[in-house]
Amino acid sequence: MAESATPTTFKSELVQEIKLPSAVLDADLDETRLYAACLDRGCYEIDLESSKFEKIGAHESYASGAKLKPGVLITSGYDGTILWHDLRNRRVSHRVQAHRFWSWQLALSPDGRRVASVTGQYLAGGEKYEPAPETEPSVRLYDASNGKELGAFSHHPPVLSVAFSPDSHHVAAANMMGEIRVWETASGREQARWTTPDFTSWGMIKSHHYVGGIFGLAFAPNGSEVLACGMGPMRDPMAGNGKQTWQKFAWRENPPRKTGEIADQDRGNGLMECLAFHPSGRWFAMAGRLAQGKWNVALFDAMTGALAHSLDAKMRVTRALFNRSGDRLMLCGAVGQEKKKNEKLPFGRIKIYRLDQAS
Amino acid sequence: MLSPLSWSGLFNQPLFAESARKQQKHCILLWLCGAPSQFETWDPKPASIYSGPFRSIPTPIPGVHFSELMPRTASIAGKLSVVRSMKTRPNEHFQAIDLLNRGADPRAPFIRPTLGAVLGQQLGQLDSPIPNFILLDPCPEGNEFKAFKAGNWAGWLGAEYGPVRAGGEFKIPDVNRLADMTTEDQEEREALRRFLSKKFENERRSASARAQDAAFARVKGLMSCAHLFDLEKIPAKDRARYGPGMFAQQTLLARHLVENGAPFVMVANGMTWDCHVFHHEIYQMLVPELDNVIFQLITDLEERGLLDKTLVVMMGEFGRTPWINSSRGRDHYPDAWSLAMAGLGVKKGAVVGATDPDGVEVVEHPFDEKNLFATIFTALGIDPYALYDLPGLPTFHRVEDKAEPIRQILI
Repeated sequence: MAESATPTTFKSELVQEIKLPSAVLDADLDETRLYAACLDRGCYEIDLESSKFEKIGAHESYASGAKLKPGVLITSGYDGTILWHDLRNRRVSHRVQAHRFWSWQLALSPDGRRVASVTGQYLAGGEKYEPAPETEPSVRLYDASNGKELGAFSHHPPVLSVAFSPDSHHVAAANMMGEIRVWETASGREQARWTTPDFTSWGMIKSHHYVGGIFGLAFAPNGSEVLACGMGPMRDPMAGNGKQTWQKFAWRENPPRKTGEIADQDRGNGLMECLAFHPSGRWFAMAGRLAQGKWNVALFDAMTGALAHSLDAKMRVTRALFNRSGDRLMLCGAVGQEKKKNEKLPFGRIKIYRLDQAS
Repeated sequence: MLSPLSWSGLFNQPLFAESARKQQKHCILLWLCGAPSQFETWDPKPASIYSGPFRSIPTPIPGVHFSELMPRTASIAGKLSVVRSMKTRPNEHFQAIDLLNRGADPRAPFIRPTLGAVLGQQLGQLDSPIPNFILLDPCPEGNEFKAFKAGNWAGWLGAEYGPVRAGGEFKIPDVNRLADMTTEDQEEREALRRFLSKKFENERRSASARAQDAAFARVKGLMSCAHLFDLEKIPAKDRARYGPGMFAQQTLLARHLVENGAPFVMVANGMTWDCHVFHHEIYQMLVPELDNVIFQLITDLEERGLLDKTLVVMMGEFGRTPWINSSRGRDHYPDAWSLAMAGLGVKKGAVVGATDPDGVEVVEHPFDEKNLFATIFTALGIDPYALYDLPGLPTFHRVEDKAEPIRQILI
């Protein structure tokens, strides 16, 4: 167990730790099983009661996305494909080559009807290494039941994160340069576009290029706000020590307006990669990597933005998930690979914390 | 008649200048500072648990694969020599940068000249207006490389063998003759300055006066060749071919300078390759740029008849770890890493050395910095074991311990 001294409305306790062969990039869960997309290209089913896992499929490069529908696991990978795994007979029922480059992230609409995948290679587009324009649509939308393409939207690559609105009517995607775009899913019409400069660095020390961006994106339960997470600018981006950052925006306003952000005194340093709303909608979790400070996982009051609880999970977290009742927080990611020659130790981690409200 | 005071006198004679240019050997060092990963460039390990997200692709050399990020370089693998078995000691940047630039461990208080200084001395023409050692480095910072840059590049050879630094933000300033000064006035003033400086040097035995003289001589040379450093004067289609990034543009400038007689040009860009965090996120951009740069440079040199007179060396100070750290980056790894060469003195399509299936250990033909320097000197026709004539100093050789060159890649 690891808790901060921050005044909390929660207590947390590590109740289960599962080791996987390789780092987890994304995960989804039902009541008893967790499904993980991993760096070793594998897509795993993990029985949460026994901690036993089974590889149920694989991509040709890193598996980067995992979203669950009843009986079906949809995964994406750095091979640019989206795979539909039939969980009953353990076979791939559909395969779509969505992109020529990586699928950075995958999202499933809350109504279960659509999946969105985002892509884009960072290539030099100017003297200062401004990202070059896209050569294929950066956002693609598919029918979640059969893989039929429903839309292709333009954005400036690399597009790192994607999320659906709670009513499934809108999809948002964000890129390395901090630009967020929102489209109406049915019509494909762009509804909003704005840029926040607070997640991107241009290297001053070691390297003259851009790095960073918005790694996690989520709509608030009311659907009218979009949250973004990442880390603040750095003079040396390769240090990975920008301020842990989230910001939220009223995206329907014209122009979209920032309505809140993490308080300076609450944050340390490190890349924040994921956001997850508590089932009650009253809190959200932000998690990632700790460079300096006390925590790499924190719960914030969704209304006020106040820090409600924090912990150091001693791992890089790439996906945070609440169980349905909201009393478990599942953190998926990795520790570093062991530097032991001729010995390949598992470095993927799933840590499950019990959450108790303290007040 | 040549004026003894004219710095660039010989090269003002067209026949001599042309003859010297034809015989001139060159070296371009693509200095990939920060240490590039061998896995995402020359020695991919797609079957390993340590493999990154990038696949490998075949080259025209049977059984030899490069990273999929290097398709253009893979297509000209038959013109390159690749060493996949470098094994050096320092694990930190400054010490490794120093080692891979000087070719030997430090031995204080004696300062060994860098590769550029030695090649500038050996390949350069005393009377050439173009600097013998040019460092194109557009990034003014660079962490440990910045510290190294602030040090003594020329060592015991003396200040006149240090680099002229240019590139990017480093425009060469104040190299135009003042409008109200005639050439004759300028020569007279320079003669007077040199006379006074020499007198001062003789009377005080001052090394700083010698260094100042070297600086003046260099500026005077630069005045006659400043236009060669102007990227805007290179055709736009060439600039477009190399790509928009600063490293690509500086490499094009290196080609242009070599074409115009520069013996040694080192192209750097800060410490870009040191990706402990965001490794694959940045390598998806850096390696494709390098891939195109190598392809364009080698192709250009070949088409211009310069490849058989120019040695191109592509390397950093060490490699990156097979294992991926908790930030999904790769850390420093001197135990087993790769580099490549092309052109003068080296074989075409040679791949030497090997690492184990995970890239952890060198399993065939380990080579270190001394082997590397012996190879570079041999390829350029320079005696690698020559003694330095350094009165009052211990005995030093260009390469110590009679270290063997990497004969498998030498012609």
